[in-house]
Amino acid sequence: MTTLRQRLVPYALLAPGLLWLTLFFVVPMYFMGELSLKTGSLADGFQLTWAFENYTNAISNYSTQFGRAFLYAGVATVLCLLLGYPLAYAIAFKAGRWQNLMLFAVIAPFFTTYLIRTIAWKTILEDNSPVVDVLKFLHIVPQDGRVLATAGAVIAGLTYNFLPFMVLPLYASLERLDLRLLEASRDLYASARQTFLKVTLPLTAPGIIAGVLLTFIPAAGDYVNATFLGGTNQSMIGNVIQAQYLVVNDYPTAAALSFTLLVIILIAVLLYIRFAGTEALMGEEEEVR
Amino acid sequence: MSERNKKNPGKLFLLSLAGLAASLAIAACGGGGISEGTDSSEAPTAAAGNASGTLNISNWPLYIDEETISDFEKESGIKVNYTEDVNSNTDFFGKVQPLLANGDSGGRSILTVTDWMSQKMWDLGYLQKLDPNALEPIFDNLIPSLQDPAFDPGRTYSIPWQSGMTGLVVRTDLAPDIKSINDLFDPAYKGKITMLDELRDTVPLVMKADGIDPVNASTQDWLDAIDKIKQAKNDGQIRRFTGNDYVQDLAKGDVVAAVGWSGDAVQAQADNENIEYIQPEQGCMIWSDNMSIPLGAPNSPAAYEFMNYVYEPANQAQIVEYVNYITPVSGVKEILAKQDPALAESELIFPSEEFLADCTNQVSPPGDEAAKREVENAWVAVTKG
Repeated sequence: MTTLRQRLVPYALLAPGLLWLTLFFVVPMYFMGELSLKTGSLADGFQLTWAFENYTNAISNYSTQFGRAFLYAGVATVLCLLLGYPLAYAIAFKAGRWQNLMLFAVIAPFFTTYLIRTIAWKTILEDNSPVVDVLKFLHIVPQDGRVLATAGAVIAGLTYNFLPFMVLPLYASLERLDLRLLEASRDLYASARQTFLKVTLPLTAPGIIAGVLLTFIPAAGDYVNATFLGGTNQSMIGNVIQAQYLVVNDYPTAAALSFTLLVIILIAVLLYIRFAGTEALMGEEEEVR
Repeated sequence: MSERNKKNPGKLFLLSLAGLAASLAIAACGGGGISEGTDSSEAPTAAAGNASGTLNISNWPLYIDEETISDFEKESGIKVNYTEDVNSNTDFFGKVQPLLANGDSGGRSILTVTDWMSQKMWDLGYLQKLDPNALEPIFDNLIPSLQDPAFDPGRTYSIPWQSGMTGLVVRTDLAPDIKSINDLFDPAYKGKITMLDELRDTVPLVMKADGIDPVNASTQDWLDAIDKIKQAKNDGQIRRFTGNDYVQDLAKGDVVAAVGWSGDAVQAQADNENIEYIQPEQGCMIWSDNMSIPLGAPNSPAAYEFMNYVYEPANQAQIVEYVNYITPVSGVKEILAKQDPALAESELIFPSEEFLADCTNQVSPPGDEAAKREVENAWVAVTKG
C-alpha cells in the first residue's frame, strides 16, 4: 500500500502542471495546427483541406519580415548581453550597499506597462530631441536624418525593453559564483583577463544561456516596438501575424505564420543549446584531453 | 534537458502522448473553433418591452461625457455598465468574433462599431434586426442624410452614435500649403507625412485625389491606389502608417501633415492651435459609428431605451459638447447655440452642405470575398512591408 502510494506521489505532484500545460499549451497548439491547414473565409467558414500550401505561401510572401525579426532580435540580444553583463557584474561584486537599490532600478521599469515604456521612447528619439542632436553632432546620424521610424529605433526599443530579462539571470549566476575560485586563479598567476575568460565566463555560462533565450525568443515575436518606433520598412513577423489575424481575418495564414515562427525559434534554440551548451562553454573536453 | 529525462526518454514520450490524447479528446468535445455565421436574412428581431435590469454597452474611448450615463440611470432605473473596450474595429472584432459566432454577445446589449464593421457583422449574422416601433423617437430626430445609408437601407440593424470625417490633419505653421491629398506626395515633405493604416480611410482618399469615385471604383482602381502609396513608401515619402497616434507626431512636429480624423483635430487643437483639420480639395471620407444589438444580447428592451434617450436633442447636446464629433441628431445645433455658440458654429461638428459637397460615405473594396481579400492583402503588404 505504502509503496503504491509512494509510486503515485510523483504523478500526483506532476498532475497540476501537466493539466495546465495540456489545457493552455497542447490544446491551443492543436487548434492552431489544425487551423493552419484550413482554407476558406470568415463568411463561408474555414474547412480543413490539409492546405500545406498555406505554409509555403506564408513563408515565401513574408520571408523579409521573418528575416527582419531574427535580425532585430539577434542584434538586440547581443546588445543586451554587452550592456547587461558588465551591469550584472557590477551589481554582484562592486555595488556594496547599493546592491539592492541597483537591482531595484533594473526591475523598476516593470512598474510601468510595456506599451507606455515603448511609447516614451518616441519622445526620447523624436526628431528634435537632445539625443538625436548629439548623434547628429557625432555624425552617427546624418544631418538630414532621423532616428525615429528607422531600424535603429526598433532595435533600441527592443534592447531597452528586454534588458532586465538578460540582467536578472546573469546576476543570479554571477551572485552564486564562488569567489575563492577567482582568488585561486590569481594565485596561479592568471591575469585578470585570463581569470575572466577562463573562470568567470565559463562558470556564468548558464546565466548567459538563460538570458539569451529569455531575450531572443520574445524579441523575435515582438510587434509593439516595430509598431511605434518603426517606420514603413521595419515591420517584423509579429506585425504581419497581427494584421493577418485582425485586418485580413485570414486565420489560417496567421496560424501558419505563427507555427512557422515557433518552429524556427525551436530549431534555433535547440541548435544554440547544442553548440553553445553548458558543457562546451565550460571547456570540459579540453581538460580531459 | 536534465539528466533524469535523458535516462528516461520512454516515460517522457508516453507522458506527452497521453497529453496529446487528452487534448484530442477535449478538442472533439469542443467542436470546431470557428463555425459558420448564420445567414443575416434570418436574423431575429431584438425584443422590445418594459426596460429594466442591467444594460452592458461597449463603446470607443472618450466618446461620451461624464454625466449622460448617470442621468440615464436616474431617469430609467436601469443600471448601466458602460465599457470603453472598442479601440479599433479590427481588434474589437478579433476579440468578440469567437463569442458572436456562437450567438453569445459576452453580456453586451449594445456595441458600437464603424459602418463597414457594422455591415460585416450583419453579413456574418452576428447582429439582430431592430424593431422600428421601439425606436420611433429616433427616426423623428435622425438627420435625413443618415436615414438611408447604402450599407443599411432604412436602418434595419444600425443606429448612428456619432459621425466624423477622414481628411487632412495639418501643422499649418510647418506646412501651410497642403490643401489636397496629392500634396502629401510632394517631395518637399519627404519623411514628414503619415497615413492611417485603415484601408477604408486612406485608400479611397488617394483615389479621390486622382479623380476616381471610390463608390464605383473597381478592384483594379483600389490596387492602383495602393500601388501609388507603395511607391511613396519606398521613396521614403511616408514616415509611418498609424492609428490615432499620429496626433503626437504632429504635436512634436516630427510629422507636418497626416491623413487623419476630424474629431482628433478638434481635440488636438485645444493643446496646439497650429494643428488643424483641412478638408481635402477633392473631398473627405465620411463615416459613422453605429449602435447595434448583437445576437444573444441579454437586455434588448433596455438597449432600445438607451438609444432613444441619446436621440433626445437635449441629451445629445450634452454628449456633443464633450466629444466634438458630428452629431446624427437634428435640433442639437439650436440647443448648443444658446450654451456654446462657438461650438455650434464649428464646421467640424455641424458641417454645412458646402463643406461636405465632395465627401463620400465610407466604402469597402468591391467584388466577392476573393477580390476583397486581394485588396486587403495588397494593403497589408504595404503597411506591414
